Amino acid sequence: MLNLILGGAGSGKSALAEALVQKFPGPRVYLATMTATDTESLERIRRHREMRKGKGFMTLERGENLAGVQVPEGANVLLEDLANLLANEMFGPNNGGPDAVWRGLEGLRSRCASLTVVSSDVFSGGRNYEEESLRYLRNLAELNRRLAGGAELVVEAVCGIPNVLKGKLP
Amino acid sequence: MIFITGPLYAGKKDYIREALRLSEEDFHEKAVWDVEELALTESPELLAEKLARYEIVIANEIGGGLVPVTPEEREKREAAGRLSCRLAGKAETVIRVCCGLPQLLKGDWP
Repeated sequence: MLNLILGGAGSGKSALAEALVQKFPGPRVYLATMTATDTESLERIRRHREMRKGKGFMTLERGENLAGVQVPEGANVLLEDLANLLANEMFGPNNGGPDAVWRGLEGLRSRCASLTVVSSDVFSGGRNYEEESLRYLRNLAELNRRLAGGAELVVEAVCGIPNVLKGKLP
Repeated sequence: MIFITGPLYAGKKDYIREALRLSEEDFHEKAVWDVEELALTESPELLAEKLARYEIVIANEIGGGLVPVTPEEREKREAAGRLSCRLAGKAETVIRVCCGLPQLLKGDWP
């Protein structure tokens, strides 16, 4: 099963995704893609860890190259988040680009019971950006669309409220 | 409390004024808008509590662009989003307005 949770900054998408994955039976894996580089991201990681406390998630950290991630059999994987993973692959040392992200997602999906991907809706800020940022936006949009096409459930978080775009919330 | 969210210039105020048939005067008395601007001015709990005393609270959705370059802008944007989540949690009714079209997210139509 493939699920996609979208939302803007501070929209409550993580909380929605966690609540969704908690409904699935079997082991739960939180696949964190943020590589901490400064106090701001460390704080963000701390806040997310606090949120996940007691929800039964085993945490894996992987900033890039998802292809090699090992997950337990029958795991429900919550990947947070795609925007970050793509940035790491596009601008980080691995230099895998969107293709590496897609291959990683496909591989992961085939190895787990359910894959829930949190992604960012960052496409309403106009196009007044550098070409590199626009390239990033195009790649992320393409990944979002591909995921949404194959997903059973697509939910947009709006001020913490789920707005179902495809499928049905369990 | 009715919480209205949506992008800039989407017709949020016009929609609710019309839906509740409010005069300009009533609207000014019952509603507060552009509340995302207040996001970092005081503690999120207190601010949400104060705002929730209004009958109508209106916020612009500003979290839909690329991640801002400066930490201050990032913090402000994040706080604005969190404030909206809090207000939506407190509201009996939540409506998102896009291109003048209202979408009911919580509660009943006013």
